Amino acid sequence: MPTKILFERIDSIELQGVSKKYGSRFAVESLDLTIEGGELLILIGPSGSGKTTTLRMINRMIEPDSGSILINGQNVMHLDPVRLRRNMGYVIQNIGLFPHMTIEENVGLVPKLEGWDQNRTTERVRYLLDFVSLPPDRFINRYPRQLSGGQQQRVGLARALAMDPPLLLMDEPFGALDPILRKQLQKEFLEIKKEIGRTIVFVTHDIEEAFRLGDRIAVMDNARLLQVGAPEDLIFEPVNELVADIVDTARKFKHMDTLNVKDLMTPLDTKYILEGDLDACHAVEVMKDRNTETCIVLDNGKLIGKLEMVNLLKCEEKNPLVRDIAKPMKVFALRDSVATALSEMKRSGEYMAMVMNGDTICGMLVSDEVLLKLI
Amino acid sequence: MAATALIINATWEHIVLVYTSLVVSILIALPLAFASLYSRRLALVVMNFANLVQAVPSFAVVAIVVPFLGIGFFPALIAIMLRALLPIIKNTYIGLTNIDPALLDYAHGIGLSEWQIHRFIRFPNAYPAMFAGIKFAAILTNSIAVLTAFIGSGGLGEIIFQGLIGYNTQKLLSGAIPAIILAVLIDFFFTILEKKITPEHLKND
Repeated sequence: MPTKILFERIDSIELQGVSKKYGSRFAVESLDLTIEGGELLILIGPSGSGKTTTLRMINRMIEPDSGSILINGQNVMHLDPVRLRRNMGYVIQNIGLFPHMTIEENVGLVPKLEGWDQNRTTERVRYLLDFVSLPPDRFINRYPRQLSGGQQQRVGLARALAMDPPLLLMDEPFGALDPILRKQLQKEFLEIKKEIGRTIVFVTHDIEEAFRLGDRIAVMDNARLLQVGAPEDLIFEPVNELVADIVDTARKFKHMDTLNVKDLMTPLDTKYILEGDLDACHAVEVMKDRNTETCIVLDNGKLIGKLEMVNLLKCEEKNPLVRDIAKPMKVFALRDSVATALSEMKRSGEYMAMVMNGDTICGMLVSDEVLLKLI
Repeated sequence: MAATALIINATWEHIVLVYTSLVVSILIALPLAFASLYSRRLALVVMNFANLVQAVPSFAVVAIVVPFLGIGFFPALIAIMLRALLPIIKNTYIGLTNIDPALLDYAHGIGLSEWQIHRFIRFPNAYPAMFAGIKFAAILTNSIAVLTAFIGSGGLGEIIFQGLIGYNTQKLLSGAIPAIILAVLIDFFFTILEKKITPEHLKND
C-alpha cells in the first residue's frame, strides 16, 4: 500500500523552540534552527550534546516535549510517523542491515512495502548498487555478513536512497569505519551529494568530517545550540570558548600567528594566467577551455589584477582588452602573517589574493585551500 | 498375528497422542509467547509457570492431572502438554526478544509499521530458536507419551507396562522397540526439517 509523497523537495526545515527532557535533564533545550533546502547541515558536538536527539526528532523517532518542527511549513507532529519516515532516507552508524535478508531484499524492502512489483524493485536496487559502486551482479544476492564494513555502509546508503527521498538523515554514518576507509567513503559521498542534490542533515562528532562535508555546521553542547554557520565562521568567529574548543581552533591554529603567507600559498597555476592584450571575447573562450571562472591578468609579467567570468560576459559588446577591465586584487608579501591576511580577505569578501616579493609574483593565497591545509 | 495387530494399533495410538499434544502445545505456546512481548507481567507469569512445571518430575505431572481430570486420552494430552509448552514458549519468546535493538530502531526509522516489523524482522529472526524449541518438545512428548499409559492413554506404554508387570520380556520389547524407533524417527524427521527451515544467512557458505 503506497504512502503519499509528502514533499517533492525540501524548502526548509524549521525547528522552533524545540525541547526534549529525559527526567530532569534536558537532551535538547529550546533549540531554534533552520535547515535550508538543498544544504548539507552538520550537527556536531560531544556525546550527549543532543545532536542525535535533534536528528531523531525530525523523523519523530523521538517526540519533542515542546516547540515545533516544520518541514516545508508542515508540523511533523501532525503527520503519520510511518508516512513521514518513508518520505526521508535514514542512515545510521550501525548500518542496521537486516541479517536474514539478501542485499536486494534489504534495499528493496520499502519499495516492496510501497507496492512496487518485483521487476521495478530489482531494477531500482541494481541502479542504486551501481550508484554506490557495488557491482550489482556480485552483490545483489549476498547476505550482509558476507560484506565488509565499508560495503555494508554503501548498501546502507543505497537503501536510504531507495525511494528517492528529498531529505536524508544521517547519524554518524561513517563513525564505525577505520580512518582510511572513512576518508574514502567521505570522498565518494561528496560526489554522491553533488549528484543527488538533496537536503541532508548529518550528525558527526568528527570536526574534520564536518569541515569536509558540511555546507553549514551547527555546534551543539549540553543540549544547546551554540552556533551555526559556515566552516570559516566557526573558525574565525567562534561565539565562545566551547565552539573554539570543538572546532579545535586552539590546537589547529596555535601556529597561525607564527605562520607566514609563504608557508601556505599555492604556486600560480598557468591556467589562471591571462595576458593583458587579450580581448574580452577571446578571454571568455580561453577561460571556458581552461574550465576556470577566475583569472589573473599579467602584462609582461607584471600583475594587473583579476578577472571573473561574470564580469567578462557583461562587456562582450565593446570587447575591451582584459588589462583595462581587470580589477585590482589584494597583494601580500611573503612575510605577512597568515592570520592577518586571511582576516583581511574575509573582511573584503575575497577568496584569493596574490603573493609577491617586490615585483615578482610568488604564488597565490586561496582561503579555502589555506583552511584545508590547516585542518 | 493378533500380537502384531496389537503393536500396530498401539503404535498408531502413540503417534496420534504425540502429534496431537505437540500440535496443541504449539497452538497454545506461540500466541502466549507473542502476547508476552506486549506484557511483561504475562511474560513473567507464563515463564515462571512453565519453569515450575518443568521442575516437577514427568511422572508426577502425569499423576497430578488424575485427581482433576480423571484418566484417558484427554488427561494424558493435558499432562504431556504441560511439559511440552515450556521449551516452545521459552525458545519462541527468547527468539522474539533476543534481537539487536539497533535493527528494530532502524526498522522504525525507515517507516515500518509495528506489524511489518513483526512480520519482516522479529519472526524471521525467531525461527531458528522457535524450531529448536519445537524439536525438543517433540522428543519430550514422545517419552512422556509412554508414561501416560498409566493413566489410560493407551499406546506403546501400555504394552511396556504389561510386559514389566508380567515379567514378559518379549512383550516389554515389543512395546519398547517401536517407542525407541519412533523417537529416532522423530529426531531424524525434525533434523531434516531443521535443515530446510534454517535461514540461508545462517548456513555455512
